[in-house]
Amino acid sequence: MRYRQFSTRAGRGVHGDQFKDAVRGVGLDRSDRLYVVGDSEAAVLDGDGRLLRRWPTGGPGYCIAVDINGNVYVGETCRIEVFDGMGRLLRTHRDAGRLGTVTAIGFAGEDLLAADATHRCIRRYDRDGRFVNNIGDRNNTKGFLIPNGHLDFCLDANGIIYAANAGKYRIERYTSAGELLSHFGRFGTRNPEDFPGCCNPTNVALTAAGRVVVTEKAPARAKVYDAAGTMLCLIGPDAFDQSCRNMDVAVDSRGRIYVVDTARLLVRVFESQDGPAAATSASSPASGGVRP
Amino acid sequence: MNGEPTRRDVLGHAARGAGLLAVGGTAAWLSLRAGKAGAWTIDWTKCVNSRLGATGVPACEKCASTCVLPLSAVRAVNDHSRCGRCCICPAYFDVTSDLGPDGLPTQKLCPRDAIRRTPIGEVDPSDPLNNFYEYLIDEVKCNGCGRCVMGCKEPAGLGSIRLEVRYNLCLDCNRCSIAQACPDDAYLRKPAT
Repeated sequence: MRYRQFSTRAGRGVHGDQFKDAVRGVGLDRSDRLYVVGDSEAAVLDGDGRLLRRWPTGGPGYCIAVDINGNVYVGETCRIEVFDGMGRLLRTHRDAGRLGTVTAIGFAGEDLLAADATHRCIRRYDRDGRFVNNIGDRNNTKGFLIPNGHLDFCLDANGIIYAANAGKYRIERYTSAGELLSHFGRFGTRNPEDFPGCCNPTNVALTAAGRVVVTEKAPARAKVYDAAGTMLCLIGPDAFDQSCRNMDVAVDSRGRIYVVDTARLLVRVFESQDGPAAATSASSPASGGVRP
Repeated sequence: MNGEPTRRDVLGHAARGAGLLAVGGTAAWLSLRAGKAGAWTIDWTKCVNSRLGATGVPACEKCASTCVLPLSAVRAVNDHSRCGRCCICPAYFDVTSDLGPDGLPTQKLCPRDAIRRTPIGEVDPSDPLNNFYEYLIDEVKCNGCGRCVMGCKEPAGLGSIRLEVRYNLCLDCNRCSIAQACPDDAYLRKPAT
């Protein structure tokens, strides 16, 4: 399985689809429109990279996600701003004293999940915004080990959470109740399948076929694993500026991989050289990895 | 009245002499101090060991090898407010060495074993990655070679370790041998404030 860079989106500059200082997060809706958050703004781009709309956020956004109704969630410091598809602010979710910097957002049924990088766990809230439980804090380190100060996760179709526990060099799978199901990955600098540095992988996404896409820093690169944790493909490191860190990643319905180049404020789009069918064909069941 | 100096004259001359001596001494001390104003310091943004963007190169060890002291006046200092307390600290371990059965690198990076790694809190003996660790630098052993600084540099690490001049050790040479050898002009004389 091989990927090549198909195109880029956004970039550093002052044009409508560009950002001045930072691009931090990407997300996709059901129509594969690309949502980008950076500086203190959110932007929506169509499949060809054309700017559809753009609006300011209340503060610097660290992540962006779109629910099945098309509402846009932007994770910020101690709050989540919820906009409609046109960029109108619908509400602001706060949880004073509990919710810290939100670096990833996901949806499990009607529940809202937020990665709290300040307190190193994933917060689960019900549809009314009431806190339900934490995920990932029942361990000896009292939370995810994230020296890089960034926590990312994604969910599969069954609501299983895939979290990047960077300081433990693992992708961990949890139920929404917080039970650790399994994990894969280990430290190593020689085999590209392993995770190097102080803390990798930093970000994670899933393909529709259940493959796990991760990004790393030092070296900045992306990798694709099957559900059992066997590496299928390495993207980079020559594809990225090597000063990149915490590169957010998303995958569209055709299996294209969108990776934030945090140094050049780009979103790099990669597609399978083996065609969309190879990128979306089913992977092995998500039961692999090490069970705790 | 005769020409003999009185007791008052003698005392007056003595007082004026002492005053002149004090003023002269102070002036001399100030002029010496002015000639050596400030202190030697390291500019982290210039030093290749800590400068962002300089990756994939070996650590510069000029601070350790060129100081006139038997053990350099430069030390590595860990800013604990920035340290990630990582399981596998790239400043502590030689991350390119073979892995042991516990999944940890088998070699340390520091050639003088000057970094101490201590688990924080309750230890999970079954999983070495399920713990926090504190990293303390033993300044009696450290010679300021900078390898740990290079290992900790972002983006591989967090950049919490830097080289600093220890002023209680520095001889404050006028022509500092480290400054002359530094390839990045990062060893500078900082003016007195």
